[in-house]
Amino acid sequence: MRFARLYTPAFSSFLYYTLSVQLLVNALIAGSFAALMAAGLSLVYGVLGVFNMALGQIALAGGYGAWWLLMKAGLPFPFAVVGGAVIAAAVTWLSFELFVGPFYKRHRFLPLVTTIALSIILDGVLLYLFKEDPKSISTGGTLVVSLGNAVMSVEQGVLVLMTVVFLSALAWILVGTPFGRRIRATVQHPSAAESLGINTPLLHRLVFIMSGVLAGCAGIYLGIDQNLTPILGFSITIKAYAAIIAGGKNSLKGAVMCAYLIALLEQLAIGVPWFGFYIPAGFQSTVALLIIIVMLLIRPQGLFGSHQRSV
Amino acid sequence: MNYILYVITSASIFIPAALGYNFVFGRGKILHFGQTGVSLVVAYGIIIPLMATGSFTIGIVSGLLCAALISAFFAWVSLRMESDALGILTIAMHLALYAVVLNWPDLTRGALGIPAIPRFPGLESLPAFAAASVVIAVLWIVFMKIIDSSSLGRALAAFAESRVHAESLGISRARTYLLAFLVAGLGSVLSNFLYPQFLGLLHPNDYRFDVSVFYLMICVAGRPGSVLGVALSTYVLVFLKEGLRFVPLPDGLIGPLRLVLFGIILIVAVFVRRKELFPKPRTI
Repeated sequence: MRFARLYTPAFSSFLYYTLSVQLLVNALIAGSFAALMAAGLSLVYGVLGVFNMALGQIALAGGYGAWWLLMKAGLPFPFAVVGGAVIAAAVTWLSFELFVGPFYKRHRFLPLVTTIALSIILDGVLLYLFKEDPKSISTGGTLVVSLGNAVMSVEQGVLVLMTVVFLSALAWILVGTPFGRRIRATVQHPSAAESLGINTPLLHRLVFIMSGVLAGCAGIYLGIDQNLTPILGFSITIKAYAAIIAGGKNSLKGAVMCAYLIALLEQLAIGVPWFGFYIPAGFQSTVALLIIIVMLLIRPQGLFGSHQRSV
Repeated sequence: MNYILYVITSASIFIPAALGYNFVFGRGKILHFGQTGVSLVVAYGIIIPLMATGSFTIGIVSGLLCAALISAFFAWVSLRMESDALGILTIAMHLALYAVVLNWPDLTRGALGIPAIPRFPGLESLPAFAAASVVIAVLWIVFMKIIDSSSLGRALAAFAESRVHAESLGISRARTYLLAFLVAGLGSVLSNFLYPQFLGLLHPNDYRFDVSVFYLMICVAGRPGSVLGVALSTYVLVFLKEGLRFVPLPDGLIGPLRLVLFGIILIVAVFVRRKELFPKPRTI
């Protein structure tokens, strides 16, 4: 009875507005993490034409690397973050040499299988080294700021901002530098690019490593914002795939935008009532999976995709 | 002795699903990673009605219906999309189905699983169950050899080599893929009719993505498309998987070691079989 008196239309709209702003903030935070992953995957698919199923584990390697350097080796926070990204780069380079390089020229589907093998090897290594209990990268205190009716920690704000900086830098590299022009030339016509003196094998390595560095940054992001556990790898990869499939496998911009869109849909799925009841939180992760399934069935080329590969 | 029987039974139970998967992935070169998703649906499709009614007949009929539906769905999507997208979609389907099982406790009991599953009358003892599973495995191997050399097997191989050439000969891709997935689904029904009964428990942990990786590994290691090769690799790899339990290693090392070892076996198998796994089209 008391609840009924409280639940006036004015209260309802206030509640809805408050919830919506917080949901947007949550989507921005979750979407930034997914965008880093999706950008790396999209870049590799655009240039090499292969899917890397171990990118989630590479992200965790970066996150755990930063955690170890900070919490165990006692390095200052900025050095630990850079160290985590370097570890992710090293793991990605090794992965390329052993699991992708020997196979992708023979058939572009082979790396799909070989990177699945890599993903379970990395799962095993991470599980052995860091055990199943969650690890968190501590930045030494949390300051929360209010954004209208929503709240966000300063850490989260910095992470979102850093994501924007990283993705803008990536876009600038691709569009505004000679290195980016070489990448785009290789995507458009590999043979012609090679005949003009572009070292495509080296370029492929560098692009693969760039995707690993982005994933490593995403792993560090995850470690700071939430927790790291070794079993997360595959679900991270699949969520990033949802973004690149929804955005178009050949569109980096589409992948990044859809990463944010999927994060928003995930928040809305469980954060607002649907026909009078709430969807259990356990189903949140299935939103991305459903998006993959629906997009592949309705519009296989994605929202921003075309039939030609590009970056 | 009981341990040997246990491992033989486990491997034999795995055979129908593994050979069914081999027919689709190994023979047909269809990039399908959702065999465990099919098994998950089939297992719950069998066990829920079985536990509700106590009738094995109702359980198996329900399992067959579930297998037919999900196999037809996978066959349909395999006709609509590129191979790599299909690979991702089948993984996504599997993970979505797994999430549904975990989050629908009223129906599936979620992470608790369904315990106290009765065994088929006459198969209560381990030797009897082992004998039945070996007989079913042998019959399934013979059945798959026949299917493999039948017009269906040849049509599937033709599509694997060249879709255009196969279709120009008048072979229906839709019919071929549908039948191939249905054969794999039937294998799942047999395996998942036996497996929960063998354990006395149906648990979602037995249907995680690493089981799909195990199917993939069996198929690649045994030579993709080869019935006898995959049957042999099933026995060898199940023995290896179960044998690791008895290696004197510290607690907490066996799980990670198993993952690393299977990853290495898979990558070595792919390296050795890379020409057969995705052959280059013949040219002149």
